[in-house]
Amino acid sequence: MRQLELTVIAEPGVKSGAVPARGAAVPVPAAPSPASAGPAATQSVAVARQLWAGVHLAGISPQVLQSLGVLAQRFSPQVSLVPPDGLVLEVRGSLHLFDGLAGLRRLLTQACLPLHPRPLLAFAPTALAALAVARAGRPLQIVDPARLIGQLAPLPLAVLRWPEETQARLARMGVRTVGAALRLPRAGFARRFGAAQLALLDRLTGRTPDPRQAVRLRERFRRRCELEHEITDHERLLRALTPLWEQLAAFLEAHQCGVMRLECRLLHRHGAATCCAMRFAAPMADVQRLSALLRERLQQQPLVEPVRACELRTATVPHQRDSHPLWQPGEQGGGGTAPCADLVEHLRARFGAGAVYGLVLRDDHRPEAAWQVSEPLLPQGAGIARAPHGLPPQPERITRVPVAAARPLWLLREPRPLAERAGLPCRRGRPLHLAGEPERIETGWWDGRGIARDYYSAMDARGVRLWVFRERAAPHGWFLHGVFG
Amino acid sequence: MRDTRLARLLEHPAIWRGRSAAARSTWPSGFAALDEQLPGRGWPRSGLVEILVPRFGSGELRLMLPVLARLSRAAAARWCVWVTPPLVPFAPALAAGGVQLARIAVVDADPARWAFEQALRSGACDAVLAWVRQPRSREIRRLQLAAERGRTLGILFRPLHAAQEASAAILRLSLTPCRAGARITLLKGRTAHRGSIEIGLDTCASSS
Repeated sequence: MRQLELTVIAEPGVKSGAVPARGAAVPVPAAPSPASAGPAATQSVAVARQLWAGVHLAGISPQVLQSLGVLAQRFSPQVSLVPPDGLVLEVRGSLHLFDGLAGLRRLLTQACLPLHPRPLLAFAPTALAALAVARAGRPLQIVDPARLIGQLAPLPLAVLRWPEETQARLARMGVRTVGAALRLPRAGFARRFGAAQLALLDRLTGRTPDPRQAVRLRERFRRRCELEHEITDHERLLRALTPLWEQLAAFLEAHQCGVMRLECRLLHRHGAATCCAMRFAAPMADVQRLSALLRERLQQQPLVEPVRACELRTATVPHQRDSHPLWQPGEQGGGGTAPCADLVEHLRARFGAGAVYGLVLRDDHRPEAAWQVSEPLLPQGAGIARAPHGLPPQPERITRVPVAAARPLWLLREPRPLAERAGLPCRRGRPLHLAGEPERIETGWWDGRGIARDYYSAMDARGVRLWVFRERAAPHGWFLHGVFG
Repeated sequence: MRDTRLARLLEHPAIWRGRSAAARSTWPSGFAALDEQLPGRGWPRSGLVEILVPRFGSGELRLMLPVLARLSRAAAARWCVWVTPPLVPFAPALAAGGVQLARIAVVDADPARWAFEQALRSGACDAVLAWVRQPRSREIRRLQLAAERGRTLGILFRPLHAAQEASAAILRLSLTPCRAGARITLLKGRTAHRGSIEIGLDTCASSS
């Protein structure tokens, strides 16, 4: 019965003229709470289950607050900023991960200390209460929702950040603490000081839920570091990049992801920026390794001009990172993709993208077309389908051209012409000894690179087995094409 | 009768013999005669092996082909990396020899020794084959330690005249072509049989 009546009152058109009996819950028209359909005589279930950490950081700049918000993602996925100087995070779910309240308090303080000299922390079942307690400078840990109001009561009203005028009027009435404000008749309070203030009290005590917008993380990382003076050598440049690496580490930690591409730009006074892009075979999250790779790469690249500023950028979408393997490499199938990907990165960082490659077969009888360079395939089937660095993707099917005769293990990229003496090919002035029957390969006429050759296995004077062929076309030249090895 | 009893006695875990202690675990080489000769009856699973040949292409790769095939087909196979091979490894021949091409990675690097050491150390490879120009003995010692650390079989191909130099590799052998196939001489090995054997490379390689 009462519910129906209150629902009518809660309609936006109705002003606060119609007042229910004192002590009953007042639905507040202007309150942005989504739960205006029913009165919350007690705290809602959600509130009873939540635990918020409030951090008060006096005099912090908006940029630092934002970066602290990113950093705090380590502790909870539900972090929101309360500008200009507050940060709240819901920590009920993460308590057991950080050794309880004491451990979380310690870690959170440690995380804030590099960016702010004196962070004040408090825990309470509602975000606003946690922040209010933190603003008051009391290191309270209110875990029990039933004791919330009792603990809040002695706090001065200033912690609620109401307008000066409201606070002054309340002070004239002798209301100086939160407890005194909560004891005032609700209807009269709403009428005199506005519904917004009453809604704030309700959110403070958990009477109405307090939905908050979580900190939104950026999709990509892009930071610039202006150097205090121009830098000419690699060592100092790498040292100057350290703060950027720390920020990147926090970014990746917050996203729980790794990067596939990273770009480092060095800006000069006159010339165009030096760009140093790195691509990785697997998502990388370890900043130490990233910086080691960048060091490797930068040392290949001489600095043409002194560097004024440097910038780190990542590609758009971050990737899920690998988990750590349980086994050591070499035991029980341990190792996995991580060391392989590391090795590829490491070698590519030094020698270029084309320095490491795999081999695949192709369906072709021409020796030079029967194989192809490919992206090296990471073992354990964990190779991620992706566009490699200008190399054709690894085809899934392993074809096997039926090989009638033996093939050499080594192939020359280009057949090397051999001298001919008395109808026999010669190498280093000595004739080769041809063994066995020739194998004729005559194919490829359809794509303009046709061949017509008779292949022989030959032994040279020092016992090395070679694969030679004789052109069937006019000059009938002899060529060396492979070594049996 | 006495031999079997002795053999049973020697299997007792409390008895350690030099020969078995040297080779903890090995990969069968694929050549029975060679297995007899090698310490631990096969190629070591970790450590540096030097193969000295009079000329490139004397049969050294055919010697390694069975073990490469076996490594690449193992259930938990890691990579087999080839560091700066002088020519292109011919994929159809490797596949015909039983090697899984997906396990092969080729590295073209200028300081080949550096790339070789990284590959050995990384723990990503079962075997690393390398053609390094004139490594110094101190560098070979580093390579040996890297191979032990990464639990990798490192195979370094060198010219025959390097036999005069001291080397920290755990196993050194020379290979010279002969009528039967190849003559293999053990130059250095922890408690191995000394002497030369002749093996036929093609017969064994194709049958395995």
